[in-house]
Amino acid sequence: MLNNYPLLTIMIFLPLAGCLLLLSLWNRTSFARSVAFGVAAVELVLAGWLYGAWRGLEAVPTKLSGYLLLEDATWIPAFGIRYTLGLDGISLLMVMLTAFTFCVALAVSWHAIKERVVLFLTLMLIMESGIMGVFLSLDLALFYLFWEIMLIPMFFLIGVWGHGRKIYSTIKFFLFTMFGSLLMLLAIITLHLLYAKQSGVATFGLPELLHTQLPFNAQLWLFAAFFVAFAIKFPLFPLHTWLPDAHTDAPTAGSVILAGLLLKTGSYGLIRFGYPLFPLAAHAITPLFYTLALLGIFYASLIAFAQDDMKRLIAYSSIGHMGYVAIGIAAWDPVALSGSIVQMANHGVTTGALFCMIGMLDERAHTREIAAFGGLWGKMPLWSFFFLIFSLTSLGLPGLNSFVGEFLILAGTIHKSPVVVVLSFIGIILPLIYMVRLLQEVLFQKERKPLLLADLQLREVAILSALLLLDLWVGVHPAPLLDMIHLPVQLLTGGMP
Amino acid sequence: MTPCDFIALMPLLMLAAGSVLCLLIGVVKPGRYLYAASTIIVILALIWSCAIPAGAVLPGISITPFSRFSSAFLYGTGIIALLLASSYNSRCGIVGEEYPATFLFALTGMGVACAATDLLMLFLGLETFTFAFYILVAIKRDSDSGGEAGLKYLLNGTLSAAILAMGMALIYASAGTLKLAELVQGNSSQEPLFLAGGCLILLGMAFKLSLVPAHLWTADVYQGATAPMTALLSTASKGASLVALLHLLPLFGNWSGLHDIFWLLAVFSMLAGNLAALVQKNLKRMLAWSSIGQMGYVALALVATPAGGVRAAVFYLVVYAVAGMAAFGVIAALSDKDECAAIEAYRGLGFRSPLAGVVLAVAMFSLAGIPPTAGFMGKFVVFTAALRGGEAALALVGILAALIAVFFYLRIVVVLYMKPAEAQSEPVRTLDDSEMASLLLPMVIMILLGVYPQPLLELLEKILS
Repeated sequence: MLNNYPLLTIMIFLPLAGCLLLLSLWNRTSFARSVAFGVAAVELVLAGWLYGAWRGLEAVPTKLSGYLLLEDATWIPAFGIRYTLGLDGISLLMVMLTAFTFCVALAVSWHAIKERVVLFLTLMLIMESGIMGVFLSLDLALFYLFWEIMLIPMFFLIGVWGHGRKIYSTIKFFLFTMFGSLLMLLAIITLHLLYAKQSGVATFGLPELLHTQLPFNAQLWLFAAFFVAFAIKFPLFPLHTWLPDAHTDAPTAGSVILAGLLLKTGSYGLIRFGYPLFPLAAHAITPLFYTLALLGIFYASLIAFAQDDMKRLIAYSSIGHMGYVAIGIAAWDPVALSGSIVQMANHGVTTGALFCMIGMLDERAHTREIAAFGGLWGKMPLWSFFFLIFSLTSLGLPGLNSFVGEFLILAGTIHKSPVVVVLSFIGIILPLIYMVRLLQEVLFQKERKPLLLADLQLREVAILSALLLLDLWVGVHPAPLLDMIHLPVQLLTGGMP
Repeated sequence: MTPCDFIALMPLLMLAAGSVLCLLIGVVKPGRYLYAASTIIVILALIWSCAIPAGAVLPGISITPFSRFSSAFLYGTGIIALLLASSYNSRCGIVGEEYPATFLFALTGMGVACAATDLLMLFLGLETFTFAFYILVAIKRDSDSGGEAGLKYLLNGTLSAAILAMGMALIYASAGTLKLAELVQGNSSQEPLFLAGGCLILLGMAFKLSLVPAHLWTADVYQGATAPMTALLSTASKGASLVALLHLLPLFGNWSGLHDIFWLLAVFSMLAGNLAALVQKNLKRMLAWSSIGQMGYVALALVATPAGGVRAAVFYLVVYAVAGMAAFGVIAALSDKDECAAIEAYRGLGFRSPLAGVVLAVAMFSLAGIPPTAGFMGKFVVFTAALRGGEAALALVGILAALIAVFFYLRIVVVLYMKPAEAQSEPVRTLDDSEMASLLLPMVIMILLGVYPQPLLELLEKILS
């Protein structure tokens, strides 16, 4: 029944259609805000509806096992590019995360963005389309197209509404990503040509390309290109240097989307395309992947400890947390991979929440320097309460969501590589040091500068409560999400469903 | 000449007659209406070439689907350039009928070059439009840089024409005919004299396409010429030259040296063009250097000629021309008496003149090859052809050069939207309708080709076979 409607196309192109509407509201900023938020909310409702319906959809098998919805149409037959979209449990989780994050990002920038509001909203909606497309494409050329499209709005978001060295940061962000993407483009075309040579069919479709017979050497080169592209987005040490700059200088909404979604496109790409397409090469580089992930965890934690700027600190902690996602993918074990996927969503919610909160503080105090604050527990009790909870979440406190993800990742990896797990346990301690220091200095220490700070408003409390509820829900009862991704994960890791 | 031939040749006749009429009527009653009249003539020629499927085979010239569509494309760029020139010229004091007349003359030459079937006609077509450009580049008489550009173009251009003529002479000496079809069949392509001639022709064409090492005129001429002229020079002239080059390629048969020559042209053009563009402070110079880099990608496609490189090269050139037209069009539309060409002059322009800003930004994204603009599809086709031809190393160089290019194209976008305008900057002039149309049209094409290039690819497939 559901499959009769092009739901996935609607999910992708509804925000773009919203843009056209926004362009006609160029001078009516407050109405435009509501329209943009309305579009994002409709997306969220659609995503929620899909979530409610996924069991029913699973009962009706599609052409590809594991997929709940498929859409397919010819697009550019001259190149063999098709418009193929597919939704499985993993993409559904990512789609839900995307729809939710955009609602948060739009809500949080309601008052923070005062200049060129309609342009800002337009770019946000274009980006939502792009990211949805990335998570739903099953044609490599289409995927690449969306992958690049989502960059342009972010480039403007940081460059126009950012602070500090925004131009430097945004160009660095764009060039880093382009470097990886262009290599990946060559690899995609090469893969397409190899498959065309073997089977006589010119296609970029993932399901077909999975059957390409590749010698190990070719796999290694092609995988290397994919890996670099995804590792930059991830970001994996030592390709992470764009992230702290981009995060710090982006407006709050930009940081929330960067942390919540753009980083996830890297790990998603690796799970969806990199590993399945080049299994031998992926297996061969596992030790390297582990090493880089661990180095990232330790390195980022140590650097985070030395930060004066709260936003930069969270940005570095973000690199560390993504290291665990990397370990789960590297292990390529059903349990660890489920953990990684859940952790992708968790990290999006939690880090997104922390960036929101720092944004709220910044709006009031016009500084993010840790040394400027102190004693906020007394002055801003609500803010402090949320900040404490989200910090504890990001530290992996049991009962909250990050614990679930990290636990699964480590539990799944321990069969494969005990050494890595032992080292990552040490890595878990490190965030404790810098987060506790942050909490102590900002919340509990004596007031250091006389700042007039008002506590949270209703809108802000509502945003944070929504985020907190999600954290709690996943922390206490992750089973529905795990069920949802169970089948695709089993299919990916080659186990029995 | 049968009536059918007459119908097929009509666009060329219209343009040539229009050019002469312009000169004659202009003496009696000069005025801006001549621009409008010429534009209408070119539009008619364009429609005629596209819509009337008449073919003709005459001595030296034959109207084929390929020649019809390639000349139609060139007329299209001509229309936009004329629309831009019309108000630009009246602003900066270029009056007189010689401009539209020479312009139509140039388009006639391009049409001839597209349809030529022997070396002599080809030479005639190429030099006709180049000759017209010598005049048009230097037409602003009170401008020093215009004079300098005209002189540089003339000296370099005559040298290249001489080289081209010498090459044709050598080929004639070796094969005893000038007809392309007979030359291809005559299987004399491995003779040293013939190859020497062929290489000289390639050098002459490299000049017209501004491929390294015959590129040095490009930046100065682009900078000195008036902006609408630069727009035509960087798009239509390149397009006509590419079409001529495609006529010549079969001469070489399967001579392996051709591959090596294009390989070197591609590598050096991509790297030199894009690296030099990094340090330019003048938008026209930057676009000039970057166009050298862009032509490198055309050469990259031609390296892989057996693997569908010709289609890729033509597609890439079309895509490049549309973006180039948009970029130079913005410069032309924003220039008042003086040309608005320093990159810093574009600070904050995206908000001061939204339409021009968006068009320029989309053009930059397209030239940088970022989806959803046409430039991405162009890069995609070229790299597919190169990889299919087994040119992985060259494709890698191309990708790295593209990364460099992303940087300097983005710099323009940054200036447009992320740097505040200087306080004392002059207000931007408002665009008139014809300028808006001539900016919007390339932008729409850029987006359409970027999202759905299938029709153009099909058309190229059909007319190239």
